[in-house]
This record gives sequence, C-alpha cells and structure tokens, in this order.
Amino acid sequence: MTQAAVAVEAFARDVTITRRATAGFWSDAAWRVRHDPTTIAALGVLAAMVVLALGADLLADNFFHWSFAKQDLLNSYRKPTLDDPAFWLGGDNIGRSQLVRLLYGARVSLFIGTFGMLVTLGLGLLIGITAGFFRGWWDDVVVWMVSTLRSIPTLYLLLIVGLLFRLDPLSLALFLGVLGWTGICNLARGQTFALRERDFVISARTVGATNARIMLRHILPNVLPLMIVLAAIDVAGIILAESAISYIGFGIQPPVPSWGNMLTNAASFLSKGPHLIYGPGVAITLTVLCLYLIGDGLRDALDPRLRGAK
Amino acid sequence: MGRFIARRLVQAVPTLFGIMLITFLITRLSPSDPVQLMVAGNFDITAEDKALLRHNLGLDDPLPVQFAHWLFDAARLNFGNSFYYHRPVVELIAERIPNTLQYTIPSLILALVVGAPLGFLAARRRGRPADHTIRLLSVVLHATPEFFVGLLFVLVLGVQLRWFPIGSMNTVGSDCLACPDRLLHLVGPVVIGALGGIAFYPRLMRTEVLEILGQDYVRTARSKGLREVAVLSVHVLRNALIPVVTIFGGILGIVLSASLIIEQIFNWPGLGRLLFEGAVNKDYPMVQAVVVAGSVLLLLSYILRDIAYALVDPRIKVR
Repeated sequence: MTQAAVAVEAFARDVTITRRATAGFWSDAAWRVRHDPTTIAALGVLAAMVVLALGADLLADNFFHWSFAKQDLLNSYRKPTLDDPAFWLGGDNIGRSQLVRLLYGARVSLFIGTFGMLVTLGLGLLIGITAGFFRGWWDDVVVWMVSTLRSIPTLYLLLIVGLLFRLDPLSLALFLGVLGWTGICNLARGQTFALRERDFVISARTVGATNARIMLRHILPNVLPLMIVLAAIDVAGIILAESAISYIGFGIQPPVPSWGNMLTNAASFLSKGPHLIYGPGVAITLTVLCLYLIGDGLRDALDPRLRGAK
Repeated sequence: MGRFIARRLVQAVPTLFGIMLITFLITRLSPSDPVQLMVAGNFDITAEDKALLRHNLGLDDPLPVQFAHWLFDAARLNFGNSFYYHRPVVELIAERIPNTLQYTIPSLILALVVGAPLGFLAARRRGRPADHTIRLLSVVLHATPEFFVGLLFVLVLGVQLRWFPIGSMNTVGSDCLACPDRLLHLVGPVVIGALGGIAFYPRLMRTEVLEILGQDYVRTARSKGLREVAVLSVHVLRNALIPVVTIFGGILGIVLSASLIIEQIFNWPGLGRLLFEGAVNKDYPMVQAVVVAGSVLLLLSYILRDIAYALVDPRIKVR
C-alpha cells in the first residue's frame, strides 16, 4: 500500500468516526440535531408540555379529580401541599387548583403560539418572496407596510385590538399572526433578492418555467431552512405577546385560564397568595426558553456555517 | 449629511401616514360604537341626542372623509378631548411623556453598561465557562417575561423584604425629582426595563467583537507589537461599540412596549399607564392618540438611529 493510500484510508476512517457519509440536507440536519444534547433536552421538555396540555381533560378527571373551574371557597389560597395532587401548586383566591388551571393554560398558549406562527409564516413567506421576486411597486408597498407595522409598539396595537374586539384564542392568534409577519417577510425578501439572480433560477426561466413555479419549486425550498428557525422563535414571541396582553387584561378573558390572566389574578392577591405567581411565570419562561433553545439548535443544524457565530 | 437627514425625514412621511391609517381603521372597523361608549351610563339620552352627537363628531361621514378630518386635526396636534378627563388628549400625553422617559432613558443606559461588557467578556473567553454562562444568562433573560420578573421584584423586594417602595413615583407628600425617595421608586422600573437590553446586548456585542478580532487590522496591530490592552481598547472596542450604541433606537421599541407592563406593575403614571387607563375607561380618542404618540416616538428613534449610523460609519451613503 502506498503512503498516499494509507493517508486516504486514515482520512476516510477519520471522517466516518466523526461524521457519517452525507445523506442529503434534511437528513444531515436531523443527524446534527440528534447529537446536540441541549436541543434534544429542550425538545423533550416541550414535547412533555404538549402531551400534558393535550391530556389535560384526562388528567383532570382521572388523576387530579378536580376540573379547572371547580371552586372551594372555604379553602382559598391553599398553600402548595403534597397531600392532594390537585394542590401540588396550591389553590387560588376562590380555591381552584392552580396546577389543573396551568395545564389548561398551556393549551391556550401552545395553540395560540402554533396557530399564530402558521399565520406569520404563511403571510411572511407569501409577501416576502413575491416582493423580492417581482420588485417594482409591490416591493415598495411591502416595504411601506413593514416599516409601518414595525413603528407601532406591538403591545400598544394589541391593546387597541383587545379593547375593541372580543378575543377568543382563535381570533387573538389570528391578530398576532397578522401583526407579526414582518420579521419573516424581511428575511424571505432579502434571500429572494439574492436567489433570483442565481444560475438555477435563470436556467429554469430559460426552459420556460412560470413565475409561480420558480417561486414555489426553486426559491421556496432555498428560503425554507432559515424560516424554520425563525418559526420556532416566532412561536416563542407570540406566546410572550399573548401572555403579556392577557396579563394586561385585554387578551384571553377569565374564566378561560391562560398563563397571562392567571398572573393577573396572582398579582391582585400578591400578599394573600404569593405562591400563585410562580406557576404561570415559570411555565411561560420555560416554554419560551425551550423554543429559543430549539431555534438556536435548528439554526446550527440547518446552517453549520453559522455554528458558533452567534 | 444634511441631504441624508432630509431624505430620511421624507421617508418617514409615508410610514407616519401608515401609522395613522392603521390606528384609524382598527378603531373605526371595530364593532364598538364610540357614541355608545360616550353615553354609556347615561340612561336619559334619546335616540335623537345620539344622532346629533354622531353628527357633531362627524361619525356619519363616509370613512375617507372621516380619515381626512382626523389627519387634518392630527396635523395641528388636535386629537380631540378625552371622554373621561374632558381635557385635550394632547395635554394629557405631554404631561405623561417625561414620566416615561424618566425611567426608560436610565434603563437604556443601564442595559448598555451591563450588557456590552458582558458581551465583550464572552467574546474574549469564547468557548470557556464564562462564555457559556453569559450565553445561558442571556437566553434565560430573553425568555423571561417582564411582568413575571416585575411581579417577583414587587413580591420579594417590595412586599416581603420591604427594601423598595411598591408603586407610584413618590411616597405620599414628597414631591421632588432627584431626592432619595424618587430614586428608590425608580429602581424597580429602571431594572425591569433594562432586562430586555441586558439579554440582547451580550449577543450582539459578542458577535461583533469576534468578527473584529478576525480582521486584518487587529493582526497588524498585534504584529507591530502593540500591547493587548491597547489593541483591545483602541482597535476592537471602539469598532464593536458602533452597532451597539446605534441600536439604542431599536431597544427603545422594546422598552416602549414594555412600558405598558412596567407602569402597570409599578403603578407609574406614564404613557403606558395612560394608555391602560384609557383602555379601561373606553376612552377612545385617548387610546388612539397614545398609540400614535408611542409610534411617533419609536419612528423618531429609528430616524435618530439611522442618522447616528451614518455619522459614525462613513461606508453608509445616501441611498
């Protein structure tokens, strides 16, 4: 065996040890995510929350034996106790179980976060890609819309919306989506600018592909990876906005429990039931933290060039 | 430079128009009727009275006409009278803005003074425990909502330990601007307001410093035998601070949105509190005007940011 062949074999072995043979973009990304303990942990915590939230009815009936609306006025402000599962986190001002309400609040927050994200993603991609692709007057209009929406403090705008419309989780998620697409739009637009000049787009046009086909088949798949990262961070942002506006009292209205309005309730009874603020506060922080970590992990996985840059 | 500023100001006009349009449309297209809100609680008002009121307010005009009227009035800073206070809305807002700036500006400075050095440290100790700790701190702070930390502050430091007063700007009876009493009241809002920036600056500063450390001029400075302290302070720090300082304007947006929450928690009579009170009292003109005022503040800060960028970075040219 020549020296060069040995070197090649050693190199090949080295490669297979640290990294298996490349198997396509998405599969590579999945491999990187699986080997990133922080992201896996965050995914695990989030998955557990989703399962608990989806199973809230089952758990309330069969494990806690306490519905989210059930009151116990004689035992209000119950301190956290290990005796009764329903009161592991204590009871609120009218003796409802804090833990069961947290589970139902998780439903509201996760639903609004996911649905709102789908709206921002859809709108942002549609508007951003078309603006970057067609340019001209449409691009000017989009730039104007984006700069306008960015100049209004988000919570101020949400407050007006909450004041004037009666918001259920679905409509609140819609509003959050309609007001929040600017970030995704800006990035999609910028990427499309660069992509439309690339050779593969020009080739596609040369062989007669329609604009719609070029945007859908050639530009969208190249824009998507970064957008998935943004989507995770977006869910977090929307959950924060939802809980903020519900905390102010113009979002999700009691008796529907949401983490935001549970904190409002806790704030009104701060001296009698100080334990009440920890549950919802930690729940929001933990969820948002997991989503940010997942976003960071996905960014590293989908774009290894950026690893360690941020 | 004058041309750049003029151009940037002209660019702001359509944005301002957009802000007015959105605020107008959301309020007018909603199912709530302003006349109904105005007369709420008065049961001896007849249908004719309501129609007359509607006519006097111009609410029976077509929407574009109403919008034109509103724009024209707004241009002369006339946003109408508050339904609740029965005083011009502009006066009330002008009274509250200084109160909000009183804690937002120290917040911005505190965020910069704490956040930027942390980012610098993280970049210098890249990959070591200090770096990881700072990154973790930044992510956790980023994820923690202001209202949760704010409530914790009030609960632990205010109610339980009694270190800081909870709520309002002064203790009853004391009324001065820079006395210890006011400063104690300021601690909560300033610290909570700074958290967003403290979470954000280290990331920005770290990326910036790492990028500059890889530049040719840093290697040149080192190879000519300059002491590390001089390299870091003269060549790295000064360049890294450019985006960090100019992003001030963007951070104001976060603080302004947070003002709604902070002023609610600490019962601080500023712009956010005014908006909240307006919303609770269904004080329609007030809410509209505060949203416009907040947006104009934000727009101004964006313009100042762009001008600051152009001043410190000669590469930015008039587009």
